[in-house]
Amino acid sequence: MMAQLFPPSANTWARASIVLVLALVGSVLALGYLISDSPYKTRQGEARHQPISFSHRHHVESMGIECRYCHVHVEESKFAGIPPTHTCMTCHSQIWVDSPYLEKVRSSYEKQEPIEWVRVHDLPDFVYFNHAIHVKKGVGCYSCHGAVDKMAAVYKEHTLGMGWCLNCHRNPEPNLRPRSEITNMNWRPEGETQAELGARLANEYQVNPQDNCYTCHR
Amino acid sequence: MTREGTLKSLHPVSEQWRSLDELSGTSEAETFAASEFPAAWDEVPTGQARRDFLKVMSASMSLAGLGACVRQPEEKIVPYVKQPEDVIPGKPRYYATSFTRGGYGFGVLAESHQGRPTHVEGNPDHPGSLGATDPSIQASVLELWDPERSSTVIRRGKPASWDTFAKEVLPSLEKIASDGGQGFRVLTGAVSSPSLATLIRSLRMRFPNAQWHQWEPIHRDEVQLGSELAFGDIKEIRYNFAGAHTILTVDADIMTDAPGRLAYARQVMSRRGQGGDTGLRTYAVESYPTSTGTVADHRFQAKASEMGTFLSDVAHELGVDGVGPGHSPLEAEAKAVAKDLKRGGNTSAVVVGDHLPAEVHLLGLAINSFLTSLGTIVEVTEPVHIHPQYKLASIEQLTKDAKEGQVQCLIVLDANPVYNAPSHLDFAQVYEEHIPLRIHAGLYQDETARVSHWHLPLSHYLETWGDVRAYDGTVSIVQPLIAPLYDSKSTHEILALFGGELSAKAADLVKGYWEAVSQGGDFEAKWNRALHDGFMADTRLEHIPYPVSEAANKVKMPPSEEGLEVVFRPCPNVYDGRYANNAWLQETPRPLSRVVWDNAIYMSPKTAEHLKVKNDELVRLTVGDKTVEGPVWVMPGAAKDVLTVHLGYGRTHGGEVLKGAGFSAYPLIESSKVAFGARVASVKRTYEVVTVQDHWTLQGRNHVRHATESEYRANPDFAQEPKKHVLPLSLYPDYEYTGRAWGMTIDLGACNGCNACMVACQSENNIPVVGKAQVAKGREMHWIRIDRYFEGDVEEPKFSFQPMTCMHCERAPCEPVCPANATVHGPEGLNQMVYNRCIGTRYCSNNCPYKVRRFNFHLYADWDSESLKAQRNPDVTVRGRGVMEKCTYCIQRIKEVTIQAKVDDHERIPDGKIRTACQSACPTDAIAFGDINDPNSKVAKLKKLPVNYTVLEELNVAPRTSYLAAVSNPNPELGEDSPKVKAHGNHH
Repeated sequence: MMAQLFPPSANTWARASIVLVLALVGSVLALGYLISDSPYKTRQGEARHQPISFSHRHHVESMGIECRYCHVHVEESKFAGIPPTHTCMTCHSQIWVDSPYLEKVRSSYEKQEPIEWVRVHDLPDFVYFNHAIHVKKGVGCYSCHGAVDKMAAVYKEHTLGMGWCLNCHRNPEPNLRPRSEITNMNWRPEGETQAELGARLANEYQVNPQDNCYTCHR
Repeated sequence: MTREGTLKSLHPVSEQWRSLDELSGTSEAETFAASEFPAAWDEVPTGQARRDFLKVMSASMSLAGLGACVRQPEEKIVPYVKQPEDVIPGKPRYYATSFTRGGYGFGVLAESHQGRPTHVEGNPDHPGSLGATDPSIQASVLELWDPERSSTVIRRGKPASWDTFAKEVLPSLEKIASDGGQGFRVLTGAVSSPSLATLIRSLRMRFPNAQWHQWEPIHRDEVQLGSELAFGDIKEIRYNFAGAHTILTVDADIMTDAPGRLAYARQVMSRRGQGGDTGLRTYAVESYPTSTGTVADHRFQAKASEMGTFLSDVAHELGVDGVGPGHSPLEAEAKAVAKDLKRGGNTSAVVVGDHLPAEVHLLGLAINSFLTSLGTIVEVTEPVHIHPQYKLASIEQLTKDAKEGQVQCLIVLDANPVYNAPSHLDFAQVYEEHIPLRIHAGLYQDETARVSHWHLPLSHYLETWGDVRAYDGTVSIVQPLIAPLYDSKSTHEILALFGGELSAKAADLVKGYWEAVSQGGDFEAKWNRALHDGFMADTRLEHIPYPVSEAANKVKMPPSEEGLEVVFRPCPNVYDGRYANNAWLQETPRPLSRVVWDNAIYMSPKTAEHLKVKNDELVRLTVGDKTVEGPVWVMPGAAKDVLTVHLGYGRTHGGEVLKGAGFSAYPLIESSKVAFGARVASVKRTYEVVTVQDHWTLQGRNHVRHATESEYRANPDFAQEPKKHVLPLSLYPDYEYTGRAWGMTIDLGACNGCNACMVACQSENNIPVVGKAQVAKGREMHWIRIDRYFEGDVEEPKFSFQPMTCMHCERAPCEPVCPANATVHGPEGLNQMVYNRCIGTRYCSNNCPYKVRRFNFHLYADWDSESLKAQRNPDVTVRGRGVMEKCTYCIQRIKEVTIQAKVDDHERIPDGKIRTACQSACPTDAIAFGDINDPNSKVAKLKKLPVNYTVLEELNVAPRTSYLAAVSNPNPELGEDSPKVKAHGNHH
């Protein structure tokens, strides 16, 4: 009689290996998911190095410059607008004219060569976001961009992922504010709760965001 | 029973067929019908073992998975240094400018995204375009961004600069100038630019004896000569069909070739659409089917050489003094046509094709004069072109002078005579051997550039200033949207250079000219008005009632010829070859034949049978002592014994796109575009001609519905399916569209199959080209296609066109089969395609009954060429490999308008505010788009017409795009059962 090829313990090993393989596959998938949603991947919260160390904190919080002084198209175009060098020079031809920090600004202006900023809020190319309509419907800068007035170097406050967008598109009321307060970084609802205000504004501004694919993807 | 058999037994073979293969049930058509992407099977790896397959599979899956973990690449954001006051990033601007072809202008509105022209549309106020475009106008934006355009000055094949050119060439001109410029010659195309003509004339200040020659391979010498014979001098003959009742076109394609083609198409076809009773009847006699003839109420086939005798028959029957009968084979038909023309009186007109001899044109004018339609339908004005020359005589003179050593310096301005001069002149040889200084200026380093001493890069019309006259004389301004991409100059600047003005700017030259000729008033205001409108008001040339010379009645018609004749026609896509490097135009199927990337020797089935040749067979085509080699393509509807060849192919220099596309027929052309006594001999080899006519078939049913007017009157509901076939049931309750609901109608009575919509869609929606080899596999990417159907007799079929694009079915069959939910329905009824979800199973396409979905089998979009990136519409995703795509009803345009309406606080969007790209391009207004929930919208009203029907209604998918059945207006006297004229009614 031929000896048995497998000892009885082989059964245990076989069972264990099924579990192990499943666990391995599962953990690889879980790891992938974690990475794909992690700040490493989305760059959420990562302050980006810019060619010029421009500080929003200084210009907005300390100097009190309004968002729309530079981002002029936010109410009329899909693109809020990045200020041309000329905008910088309106002030910096008068103050800090010799600052070494501003060397690149001056040379851009003299040589007529644009400054190449690093895009911080960068949506995928198949996403078509429109600033004008969000501002019109009472979504403040703060809701998506966070407290830019506190940022020395700008970073992404939120993931800007599709799930995050849909949260608001499906329930916009917590993020609505009066149009007059759109750029106010320190605004809090007064005299009524956000829930009451949101419901009132949603009605007043006719806020009925869509969540079908062509809303953003074209 | 095979699947094919099953289908056939369910649906009897229809009367409408797309190709001879389909009609006879042979291989190719069935391959395409049976499997959607027949060639895909070729690409299944066969040489590999299962293990290898699994290895590759798992590797690619894990790589794809890892790809999702890659960090987003860093992108730059580059603002202006000084932002132009009126530019809003993210908002396109539109500028009025003018496209020029053959010396005639077409007003366009060019779309600019922060200075990048991405798309052109017709200028609705411009008489030459009336808001429409044709394929070549649409594709001109690709020409601007073509990476192969000439970018630098070339001296004897080596890059040089404008400075060296000025330093080396201009002094040598002094010598020529010293003897009055005897040997100084300029060769241009036809010119209608007043400012350019003035520059050419002012060259004569420096070179008093210089000569100006003109050459256009697609010239209109015969038309000019006809007008000279009739009126004693060259006159412009144009038409206004708006009030016409009877039109006879004699081998004339007024909707594709004529200088006023877009206006003519609108005037004729918009009255035929919407099942309308218009009182308009059109007759066409043709040697080859064209957009004009195939939509005529009666189409007769005759050889080009029989056109004269046919017209004599018409004139004789009308009673035009002194014209005897021509006894053409179509004498009976000629009589009926004549009666109808006579009935119409001054609302009737005869139009003669450009390639027919001057005598026929003269007789045409005599008939129009007899009908008293000169001044009503036919308008005679001073020439639109400046210094109109007989092009053939002009280039003959140039060649003769060169041979005699009288030409010291020739400047070829935006022409390519080495490629397309008449063959008997041996122009290429004379040019190279007898002209000591040869300078060529053009958009491409073409055949002429190659053998010139100097090649100068020319600016594209979207990057420079100019002016041009439309077919009716209206002066249009060409204004740039972008600074020249390369170190190029405009024709104006180059001529000024020879005049000694080294740094003249086109802007100053053009504006300066108009300022100088301006009479009174505030010039700046007038100029700004002209720039804004795109044309100068009140510059139209008025009709002058010149009497037609009596000699016209005594003209002798050229006798009809025996044997094979060849008709050379401009290609509806690449024209005379100047657009050959434009991949959009190469890949757009030629109207009627639906052939892509090639020309062919087109002939009727009988002729092919007689010559014992078949499709794809290479033959030697000989006329006189000249021979070319090209493939045969059998074209039902071509006249017997006529071979038709499109010009513009077989180019050798000027880019990579044009290489290998077709063969050149120019070697066969001497003086006339019609050649007699042709001989055809097979070389026993084949050449694959690729046609899309069998692709995306909806096999076996009559999809185009049409009726004659009397049938329509007897049964206005002829286009409706008998209701018993339709089962209005669904498992789910229908979605209720409470807001807007987008819908479209396509008017088959108005469509003439011109392809403008296809190229407009390509430009608007970033649709890639795939190349001839991929098209052969059925992988063309066009979101809108035009199905061309034949009906009836193989030799003399009836034609119909059906633009076909995503129908946005309310119960879309593509949606439930997608495993990734990548195609879903929107609240306004759009069938949405989500590229970033698509995993490429192609189930949706498989389940689409209309076959309108397109799959990126490879990375078709060019992601590398820098200049092409700038052409793309930034509002539409550029798709990658492995993704399905299809018509979106131009969602980016819908969104642009609807979002803006909300931002501006007016919720109501006026009807017609949103226009899809295909709709805007359409010369005949065949496409209507809008909100079908708004009962006052045009599209909603059209959908209530009795002629409104949906294709494949029995499938119960509720398409949002419906069709308006065509209603023709045939002459009852010609008898609906006459063997020559089959007026097909409804067979449902």
